[in-house]
Amino acid sequence: MPRRFLLLVTLLTLPGTAALAQEPARVNYETYALPNGLKVVLSPDPTVQVVTVNVWYDVGSRNEKPGLTGFAHLFEHMMFQGSANVGKGEHFQLIERAGGSMNGSTANDRTNYYQTLPSNRLNLGLWLEADRMRSLAVTDSNLNNQREAVKEERRLRIDNQPYVGAFQQAIVSIYDSATCFAYGHETIGSMVDLNAASTADVKAFFDLYYAPNNAVLTLTGDFAPAEAKALIQQYFGSIPRGQTPPPVECNQPFNGGERRLRVPDAKATLPAVAVLYRTPPAPSADTPAIELLSSILGAGESSRLNVALVRDSRAAVAVQALQLGDQRGPGALVALGIANQGVSADSVEKLLRAEIARVSTEGVTAEELAKAKNTYRSTQIGSRQTTMGVAEALQTANMIYGNLEAVNTRFAPYMQVTLEDIRRVARTYLQANNSVMVLIAPPEVTP
Amino acid sequence: MSCTRLTLAVLGAALAAPATTTAQGYPTAPPVAGPVRPMPFPPFQEARLSNGIRLILVESAKQPVVSLSLSFAAGHAYDPEGREGLAGMVASLLTKGAGNRTAEQVSATIEGVGGTLSASTGPDFLTIGAYVLAPQAELGFSLMADAVIRPTFAQTEVELYRTQALSGLQLEQSDPAALGDRFMARTLYGSHPYARRPTPAAARAITRDEIVAYQQRMLRPGGALLVVAGALTLPEARRMAEASFAGWTGTAPVAAAFPAPPARSSRDILLVHRAGSVQANILVGNITFPPTSPQQYAARVANQVLGGGSDSRLFAILREEKGWTYGAYSGLNRSRGVGSFVATAEVRNEVADSSLREILHQMERLTTEPIPTPALEAALGALVGRFPLTVETVQQVAGQVSNSILLGLPADYLSTYRTRLAAVTAAQALEGAKAAIRPATAAIIVVGDAKVLLGGLAEIGPVRLVGTDGTEVPADQLMSASVDGPVLDLSKVVASRDSFAVMVQGNAMGSQVSEFSAAAGGFLYSDDTRIPLAGVEQSTEVVMAANGSAMSVTQRGKVQGNETSVVLTVTNGRATGKAVGPQPPAGAFGTVEIDSPVPSGTLDDNTVTAIVGALPWSANASWSLSMLSSGSGEVRQIQLAVTGTETITVPAGSFEVYRAEMSGGPSPVTLYVTVAAPHYVVKIAPVGAPIEIVLVKRTTP
Repeated sequence: MPRRFLLLVTLLTLPGTAALAQEPARVNYETYALPNGLKVVLSPDPTVQVVTVNVWYDVGSRNEKPGLTGFAHLFEHMMFQGSANVGKGEHFQLIERAGGSMNGSTANDRTNYYQTLPSNRLNLGLWLEADRMRSLAVTDSNLNNQREAVKEERRLRIDNQPYVGAFQQAIVSIYDSATCFAYGHETIGSMVDLNAASTADVKAFFDLYYAPNNAVLTLTGDFAPAEAKALIQQYFGSIPRGQTPPPVECNQPFNGGERRLRVPDAKATLPAVAVLYRTPPAPSADTPAIELLSSILGAGESSRLNVALVRDSRAAVAVQALQLGDQRGPGALVALGIANQGVSADSVEKLLRAEIARVSTEGVTAEELAKAKNTYRSTQIGSRQTTMGVAEALQTANMIYGNLEAVNTRFAPYMQVTLEDIRRVARTYLQANNSVMVLIAPPEVTP
Repeated sequence: MSCTRLTLAVLGAALAAPATTTAQGYPTAPPVAGPVRPMPFPPFQEARLSNGIRLILVESAKQPVVSLSLSFAAGHAYDPEGREGLAGMVASLLTKGAGNRTAEQVSATIEGVGGTLSASTGPDFLTIGAYVLAPQAELGFSLMADAVIRPTFAQTEVELYRTQALSGLQLEQSDPAALGDRFMARTLYGSHPYARRPTPAAARAITRDEIVAYQQRMLRPGGALLVVAGALTLPEARRMAEASFAGWTGTAPVAAAFPAPPARSSRDILLVHRAGSVQANILVGNITFPPTSPQQYAARVANQVLGGGSDSRLFAILREEKGWTYGAYSGLNRSRGVGSFVATAEVRNEVADSSLREILHQMERLTTEPIPTPALEAALGALVGRFPLTVETVQQVAGQVSNSILLGLPADYLSTYRTRLAAVTAAQALEGAKAAIRPATAAIIVVGDAKVLLGGLAEIGPVRLVGTDGTEVPADQLMSASVDGPVLDLSKVVASRDSFAVMVQGNAMGSQVSEFSAAAGGFLYSDDTRIPLAGVEQSTEVVMAANGSAMSVTQRGKVQGNETSVVLTVTNGRATGKAVGPQPPAGAFGTVEIDSPVPSGTLDDNTVTAIVGALPWSANASWSLSMLSSGSGEVRQIQLAVTGTETITVPAGSFEVYRAEMSGGPSPVTLYVTVAAPHYVVKIAPVGAPIEIVLVKRTTP
């Protein structure tokens, strides 16, 4: 290679000084709606031999009312309990026997159901989704059985784990449950409410939220669009349209004062500190800057919090900062640290606060911003490598950002964030009077 | 325009006559599979570098990314005895300063381009991986080469890692799944190196010289495997690798053969006591065979039937039929040497023994009865059909190729995998099950609260009891302690008669009067509750032993005209009796025969207001108390924790109180307890309900 080209290559690969030029490959798709309101998104990719059938319902824990917390998630379990033509447990069986993978999950804003299948089983995935959308089997025995499974899930994921339950409490504590109950309670719900849920509640929930006009069906991967459209019409076309669900209310003030909580955690072995700052809903123009700022603070070993708390002062065994809430309601930037052996939670909090204050006063460097952009770029590209990743990206664009094309256009604003933007969002949102400080305390005497 | 009109017309027609046209077309049975597209294993290319490194490339330009992985036979099985964790420490430190970059410069460099670089160990291999955008592939290669050839191992980084490792081990003590894995490995492999896991003593002992020596001895190009996946051609990958690894030579290290894992002749249970655990993590396992065993295909099919997924027997029975668990699975773990079989479930405490019996029963059934044809077909469908999902991305393809090479599988393994699996018969699957699964001599690990679990487990097999750090815990000592941590001191409780008002939304709706006094060899607690508008009246009498534990409970009452009663005695570690009353979850009236194990020292939940006087209160106090719910016979681990102090006013006066949250029971409750000793309850508030029970008058004789 001639010398001048060698030099050019070296310059191009010099790290950290500039944002790079790669973009995620464009996601191509077409979309239409059935007369019953079911929105369909098709994004074929013939280079794989699998197909993902992905349905999002516009319902999540934010639609729950007091006394019925955990209901959206309990309902998600019910969706695997059979329908007019699918026996109890058969959904799992049929997908598994086809070699597919499937699951569902419940978040604040949505409940999703998905199956990735060998591409010759597209019809099975579509039919299973259609059958439960048209004729879910809501029975006492199914409800009681799934109530127990959900309680076990709660014990497994939260009650029997260190930090998780306390962290869940921390997340909901940023909301005022009086003005924003939608986000001010935990998705998993309370045991009391789970016990109280009745079959009538389940039926009413199904009728209101599980109608085709409240769902979006996305297909990604190896399929022929004409064939898929015919199957979708055949399976979903005759499901009746439902009512339009009521809107969700959330009034969330910013800079409403600092809260401090101490959450005892009998399972924890080291104290931990989480500081949460209230941030605007995901579609806000400030989101790209806030997200890049959270990356500068806490993503990776060279992040500010890791250098200051884990490496320099050795106060923490682990730190993280992240922007919570790919959702239509307000979210939070969370910075958290688990104290090292023999280090007090106070020291960890002081160091966390000091690093965050430094961003407001001094801003960040151009290298840090370029690094955050490159990390975002690489994460975005990475998440588009599977049919499931593409399907979720399409659904997120459609529901959370309000238009499908956001799957392709959301990338650019991140690349346009300036140093001044970072400083501005730090000054606007990362203030003590806009925060909740949560101390997660292990038992006094370690058993 | 005309096109749109036509579409609208068609849609209109569909709307006009939906019932006939679409209902006819809607299938009422699962649609049959379409034709399978023939699918050869995705192509990959291979080359050998001049220094002996074997290079595999899986090429794809779909996304502009490249991933690299470089593996050495230097996993944690090669940790010297007493230096467990050394290989993991070397792996972590490879990227903490190398070549002419400090640790911060390495992380800033790779993270600056949005990439990742990290190394880790499994039992057999140490692997370093990099992930970069395609134009930074060269940088990825060069950082990786620096890390494995020229790591700095600065003393400050060694010490930082040591601190992290010690805290990490302490954190692991709080993770029931990690504890289960650690104890299972130790039990199955004994002195075989696959049992090795990091320890605090080894983390303190490892020196920098040992770290340097391990890297130089074990990380050599000879025998190493480099796998590249993504947007690079073979000539590019080869050129970059040769340039980055230039001058690095060395043959593969010679390692001594591993000793055989211990043979097991009987089944036993290791119970790892984790105080306050609300679930039991159950693991049942045995060692199996090397990955090249001719039984591997048949065994995999058998395991699929038992616990490979959500269509398998363990899931279908323990979760779907019984509702005992969120998930129950089994798996065959492959290592380069002898592998293992492990079945797992996390279940609530009350059904731990039943769940273990069921897992063992299903293992026995699988190894004695041939698999019925439908179940066999289902398992084969799952395993064979799943294959396209395991090679969806280039990274997955690279992982499959890498894995088969590292495990020493034959060259045609990946191309013949599906046909070999598909050919397994029921008779072969039975033989495979016998080779891989041995219920009669299985090792059983249960991580959970031994006080609640020991009685039930002891009926299944001999139980050895240890703490989370592995030290033996004498069973009698554990079971005789009444609570964890501070022991109840009943002498501090003052005999008293406490009158409470039951307030609903601020209005007095009823009363509760409780009395506590010394009795022969123990104490007597009684209460009388009346809420006329709710139709509730109830009187309770609990005889308590000298340590506060419940000996008998008698309760009579009426709820909205229905008679309720509890008559229950606790003897020889079992509660027996009968309860009549509203039953969860729906609150329908019913009768429950109670016969359940009760750890000694278990308190009755009716006596909470009396017990608070026996606890050492402070602003940071928290306790875990074993408590019997006498209406159902369930024993729960109740958490009681002080969350603050405040001054409250109730009819009996103003009090400086501790606010304490009680959780883990049927519903959470906030208790307000006097700061001044003797401590007693002045207010009880169920969380989320508009009810408060407030102290009106307290008299002490």
